[in-house]
Amino acid sequence: MPRCRALPAAVGALCRALPPRARLAPDVLRRARFDRPQATLDFWRLLYALLKQIHGGEWTESDAIDTQIRFVKSALWYHGYGRPELYQLPSDGSAGSRELLLAFSWLLHRVNLLEWLLARNRVKTGDETSVCTCEDDLSHSQKDTTEMAPGLEDRVDVRYLQWLNGKLRFQWRSLHAQHQEQCKLLHKIHLFTSGSHTDQALGHFSVTETDLIRHPENYNQLLQHLELETMQLEAFLEWKQLEAVYWQWMETVLDNMAEEGSLRTVRDAPVETSRLQEGATCCPWAESMTVQIDRLSGEMTALHSQLQELVARRRSAWCQKVKTREEELQKEDFSTKLGKIEESVELKLLDLTNHGAPNKNKMHGSCRLVFRSKRSASKTGFGGSASKEPVPAVSATEVIRELRMREASLQRELKQLQDECKQRLDGIAERLDGVICISP
Amino acid sequence: MLPAGCGGRLAAALQAALRGGAERRRELERSAERGRDVLWGERRGDERPKAEVGPGGGRESTPSSRELEELELLNAALEKALRVRESVSGAPAAARGAPGAKPAGGAADGGDTGELELPAATRDGPAAACPTCEVRAGSRQPTAAKKPPPYRLRAPYRTDPDVRRTQRKAPAGRVSRAPGAAGKSSSKAVAPKQGGRRGPAVPAAAKPQRTAGFPRSAPSEQHGLPAGDGSSVAVCGQQLSAGKRCCAPLRLPGGAEEHTAGARSASPRAAALQEQGCQLELPLPYRKAHTRNSRAWEKCRLCHTSADAAAARTRFTERIQSSFCSPTPTLSPAEIEKELKALQDVPSRLSLYVEAESADHPTLQREYESLLTLEGLQSTVSQCLHKLQLLRAAVESQRKLHPGCTGDQRDCCAACAAGAWVCGSAGTLAVPLLCYSRLQELRDLFALKLQVSMLHQQIALQKVSL
Repeated sequence: MPRCRALPAAVGALCRALPPRARLAPDVLRRARFDRPQATLDFWRLLYALLKQIHGGEWTESDAIDTQIRFVKSALWYHGYGRPELYQLPSDGSAGSRELLLAFSWLLHRVNLLEWLLARNRVKTGDETSVCTCEDDLSHSQKDTTEMAPGLEDRVDVRYLQWLNGKLRFQWRSLHAQHQEQCKLLHKIHLFTSGSHTDQALGHFSVTETDLIRHPENYNQLLQHLELETMQLEAFLEWKQLEAVYWQWMETVLDNMAEEGSLRTVRDAPVETSRLQEGATCCPWAESMTVQIDRLSGEMTALHSQLQELVARRRSAWCQKVKTREEELQKEDFSTKLGKIEESVELKLLDLTNHGAPNKNKMHGSCRLVFRSKRSASKTGFGGSASKEPVPAVSATEVIRELRMREASLQRELKQLQDECKQRLDGIAERLDGVICISP
Repeated sequence: MLPAGCGGRLAAALQAALRGGAERRRELERSAERGRDVLWGERRGDERPKAEVGPGGGRESTPSSRELEELELLNAALEKALRVRESVSGAPAAARGAPGAKPAGGAADGGDTGELELPAATRDGPAAACPTCEVRAGSRQPTAAKKPPPYRLRAPYRTDPDVRRTQRKAPAGRVSRAPGAAGKSSSKAVAPKQGGRRGPAVPAAAKPQRTAGFPRSAPSEQHGLPAGDGSSVAVCGQQLSAGKRCCAPLRLPGGAEEHTAGARSASPRAAALQEQGCQLELPLPYRKAHTRNSRAWEKCRLCHTSADAAAARTRFTERIQSSFCSPTPTLSPAEIEKELKALQDVPSRLSLYVEAESADHPTLQREYESLLTLEGLQSTVSQCLHKLQLLRAAVESQRKLHPGCTGDQRDCCAACAAGAWVCGSAGTLAVPLLCYSRLQELRDLFALKLQVSMLHQQIALQKVSL
């Protein structure tokens, strides 16, 4: 059967397409299919490594197995994996390789694991910068609790705080200056080396590449990484050719399980409640989500009431106007005009709401900076003539626009918080007798 | 007025922020150093003129007599070189960079040496009237002959003992082209030193390269001077402003020019990069690896899942999902986060629209239009509110299912760095490129990113003090 021959190739390609630090021998997969306990630990480790990579955390091979297991379970929950059998697996990694195989395959499909990892671990040879503010968002939302520095007395002199604040502001200014300088440097290098890169889409060298020319001996590792990545990509391509075989194989695994009776379906047994943890009242994720939802709801509700009032007022005003000029308007065939306006407004609103959901296409992560002067862009055409489809590229103007909007919304949030703080202070100030408070 | 605990927390938060900022600065400095090394060559350590010298870098207002002497020597060398060049009138393609300064000098910024063939007269406004601009061999001869003055380095040009020292050390042989340069050297010397100047923006750097018709596209892109950073935009020509830069003089290809005594091959690397930047070639192994790599990426980007595979995948997934816990929540935590993220900017976006419509409208039709728009926005807001309610319920149901939630952040992947997932979940296999077409765009981009980070931090700090 052709399938039998293709399967080892598919599994092999799959294993080679995984990132170097999180690989598995094809044998393990085969053993897991038969639920051999020896494969379990390796599988847990694989999942741990992969999920840690996805979630941007730091990890080492020496992390304790039960930590690893707990993390993997939590990560699978996060992505929506709902098989209770997995969550019931023992935390010493002694059994359950088949369940893990299922979970792995599910993850493979669900989050496009291979593509994700490839994109994430891309070898960077260019001048990179991130196009989204996700990192900041993250640190922002995580920063709820700052521990008190040990040894700090209870009474902190406000002047100390002011001094720290001033230092911080100065730091931002220097960072700004540094960034601007960096921009100039980058631009110069891009400019000077324009036209030299063999890759048309890029057109010029990055700092790394220019340095590479001078000191090729320093960049052996980079070269190695590039080559490894190319092999990984080629394995990925091979996998894409053969993946149907793999999925069919996974279905046979499910078939076997169904025969054995270990594949419960919805219609069967009642819901397992073992996942309901006793007293699991504090889930930090749920809390941070709730906080965000609350904040957004608050803003939306405020907006809603504002709109309600505005609309009501406008509508009554408009109706008044129309009433008083009813006859003359009928002569002008007003209703058709109104109809046209309604259509155009519908389109406009559609546009607005689509604009409001750009995240689907929004670029994330870090991008390579490429200088394309308007002139050369028109000459060579975007992306060069050789490619069939234009190489997708984000333009700086778009990113700038997004950033401006983000900035505006953050400004608003900050102002809100400051107002709140001010109100509080005002309240306190009022209660102090005989003291005049002058706000800064 | 602050509650005691709050003060301590705030102090801790500020200190943490300072540490983070210091870390950022260090990283930035490291990459800036790499950039500078690449641009300005082999100077390492203390030899390298510190480009972070503060704004204005303490330049002296009048050059010393020693410097003036050297200046004279340089000018002499330049004139000689000019004479030599004229005698070698057919010298091919000299011109890099801008045609010489207009005799009336004047103008503008130092450095738009991008235009090659434009005769000085038609030079557009801000084009550099660089006294030491390169001269295009052919057409420039006549004009060149007329204007030795433009090639004269002006007095208040800054030299620096350090830089001079370095120049002497730099072996002439390092510069592959003879032109290294009379005169260029001194101005070059100036350039790196003034790296730190926060002068007026560098229009030079910003000017798009006009490669019109020039055989070697690259040279045309070299700027007169590393008009180094920022500096003086200007006025090379007549003005005696301190910190004026002179464009890279006389960069002739292959030794058409003599090196005269005073020639210092200052910043040979910068010169080298500028001149040769366009001709640089990546070493073969890297080139090969890079092409293989980008080809592989391209193939991956264009490859699609075959129909069989897609069908098999969905079949498998559906089967396995049918064995999930019975009341399967509709949204996984990952999806909840994603939805929430998508809603983040909506209130501010919608408020902007509302504000736009709040103005008064002259005609009845406009008023109707605005009314309809507002009603539409109102319904959008209601939809969002409804969605938020659904999300809230979803969070609640997911919380109940959270396996082994011990409240410990490290264990819970969702709590720690889940954002990385949400950020990267676009996961396309295209090699992402961010294209900019002007220096200003790049600067705006970085400035805005910094601003956003700063605002995040301020908000966090504000929350601590609440």
